[in-house]
Amino acid sequence: MSRHVFLGIFEDEADIVAAAGESRARGFDIVDAFTPYAVHGLDRAMGLAPSWLPWACAALGAAGLAFATWFQFWTTARSWPINVGGRPWNSLPAFVPVMFELMVLSAGVGVVLTFLIARRLGPWRTPDIVDPRVTHDRFVLVLDAGASDPRVVRRLFADHRAVAFEERDMEGRP
Amino acid sequence: MQAVQRFGLWAGGAGALALAIGAAIAPDRAAANLLLASWALAGAGLAGAFFVALSYAADATWVIAFRRVPESMTRALPVAAIGLALVFLLRPSLYPWTHEPVGAPGSFTRLWLSLPFFLTRAIVYFATWMLFAAALVRNSRRQDRDGDLAWTRRNRRLSAAFLVVFALTCFLASVDWIMSLTPHWYSTMFGVHNFAGLFQSGLAIMILLVVWLRESGPLRHVVTDEHLHDLGKLLFAFATFWMYIWFSQYMLIWYANLTEETVYFLPRMRGGWLPLAMVNIALNWVVPFLAIMNRPFKRQAAVLAKVAVAVLVGRWLDLYLMILPSVAPDAPPFGAWEAGGALLAAGAFVAAWVWMFRQAAPVPAQDPYLPESLHYHS
Repeated sequence: MSRHVFLGIFEDEADIVAAAGESRARGFDIVDAFTPYAVHGLDRAMGLAPSWLPWACAALGAAGLAFATWFQFWTTARSWPINVGGRPWNSLPAFVPVMFELMVLSAGVGVVLTFLIARRLGPWRTPDIVDPRVTHDRFVLVLDAGASDPRVVRRLFADHRAVAFEERDMEGRP
Repeated sequence: MQAVQRFGLWAGGAGALALAIGAAIAPDRAAANLLLASWALAGAGLAGAFFVALSYAADATWVIAFRRVPESMTRALPVAAIGLALVFLLRPSLYPWTHEPVGAPGSFTRLWLSLPFFLTRAIVYFATWMLFAAALVRNSRRQDRDGDLAWTRRNRRLSAAFLVVFALTCFLASVDWIMSLTPHWYSTMFGVHNFAGLFQSGLAIMILLVVWLRESGPLRHVVTDEHLHDLGKLLFAFATFWMYIWFSQYMLIWYANLTEETVYFLPRMRGGWLPLAMVNIALNWVVPFLAIMNRPFKRQAAVLAKVAVAVLVGRWLDLYLMILPSVAPDAPPFGAWEAGGALLAAGAFVAAWVWMFRQAAPVPAQDPYLPESLHYHS
C-alpha cells in the first residue's frame, strides 16, 4: 500500500518538536517522525497514544512468576519430593529467588521479543530509511499528504526552520 | 510556613513530654521509643545529605530545582544526636551488653561493645556526618551570591568523599545502635537493610515536602510533573530494593535454620508480631509497588503523596519491629510512649526542617545548571 506523504527535514530537535506540535494542532495526519536518538517530548507533540508494551511486560512478568512458582512446587514437592535438610516439601521462601529471576527474565526478554514481532523487526528486514542522515544528525517529520496543499505544508515546515521539504510516495510503514 | 513550624514544635514538645513521663513509669520502653525516634531523625538527615551528595557526584542536574529540600533535611542530624545522647547516657542498660559483657575478655567483640568506645564512635559518626552536611550546604548557599561554578566542582569532590564515608558509617551506626540490642545475633545484611529503609523513607519525605511547597507557593512553577515523576521512580525502585534486602536477610536465615541466627526472627514472627511483620511488608513494598508501577501515577502529586505517607508509616513500623521486640518480647506494645516517640520524631523533624529551609532562598537561583533542571524532561 503506497501512501503519498510530505517530508520535513530539520536540523534541531526543538524544531521538529515544535513543527510536530503545530502540524497536529492544524489537523495534519502525522505518519511518523525519524530521529537519530529519542527526543524528549516528541511523543507528546505528535499526540502518540501511550504504548501498550508496559502491559505486555507486566503480563509476561506475571506469567514467568506463575510458571516458576508452579514448576518448583511440582518438581520438589509433587513429582519427586526431595527432603533437603528437613525443610518442608513446599519450601516457598527458598523458591522466591528463582521466582524473581524467572519473572525478570520473562518480562525483560519477552517484552523485547514482543516489540520486535509487533514492529516486524529482524535481521531479515531491509530497512527503508527515509533519509540516510536520520541515523546521524537530521530529524524527519512525515505527514500524510491527503488533500493538503503542499505549499501550506512547505510554509509550515519552513516556519520551523526546516532545511528541506519533499513530497514522495512511501511503501507501507518504513 | 511559620504556622507549620509552630505546629511541629508543639507536636515535638508533646511527644518529648510523653517520653519524659514514660522515662519515670516505663523507662525501658520510653528509651526504646526515644531510640526509635532519634534513629528515624538521623535517617532523615542522612537521606537528605546522601541525596544531595549523590546528585553532585552523578552530575544529576534535575535535582537542583528542589535541592534546598534535601539540604534542609540535614538539620535533623543535630536533633537526632541529642536524642541518641539521652538514650546512651541516661539509659545505657537498654543495651544488654552493658550489663552482660559479650565475648571473651580481651576479644574484639568485648572491646567493640564497651561503653566508652561505643560513645566515642557515636561522636565520630555524628561529627563526620554533620561536618560533611554543613560543608555541602554552605557551598551551595555561597553559590547563591556569585553563581561561580567552582562551588559545584568543590561540592562534587566533597560528595564523592562523603558517599564513601557514608557507606561505612551508616552501616556501622546501624550495627552499633540497633543490631547490638540483640548482641549475640548478627547479620551482614542489617546495615544494608537500614540504608534501604533510610533512603526509601527519605525519598517519601522529599516527595511530601516538594508536593507541599509546590501547592503552597515557594516551588510553584519550579517543580514540574517531570521532577515528581523521577522522585516517584526512585521511590518505586527503593521500595523494591528494601523488599529485596529484607527478604535476602530473612531467606538466608530461614534456610540455614541455625539457632544463633533465627533468634532474631523467632520473636518477630510470633503471636501479635506476625501480623505487624506482614503490614510492614505491605506498607513498605506492596503499596508503593502496586500504586505507582504505572507511569501516570508517578506524575500525580495526590497519588504520590498518599504512597509517601504509607511508606513513612511503614518506616516507623520497620524500626519498631527492629527495636521494640528487644524490650517487650511477649506482645507488641502500643501506648502513650509509642505515640509520643512518633510525635516527637515527626514534630522535631518538621520544626528543624522549616527552620533551616527559611534561612536560604527556596531555589538556588544562581546555580549555573538550574536552567537544565527547570526544563527537565524525565
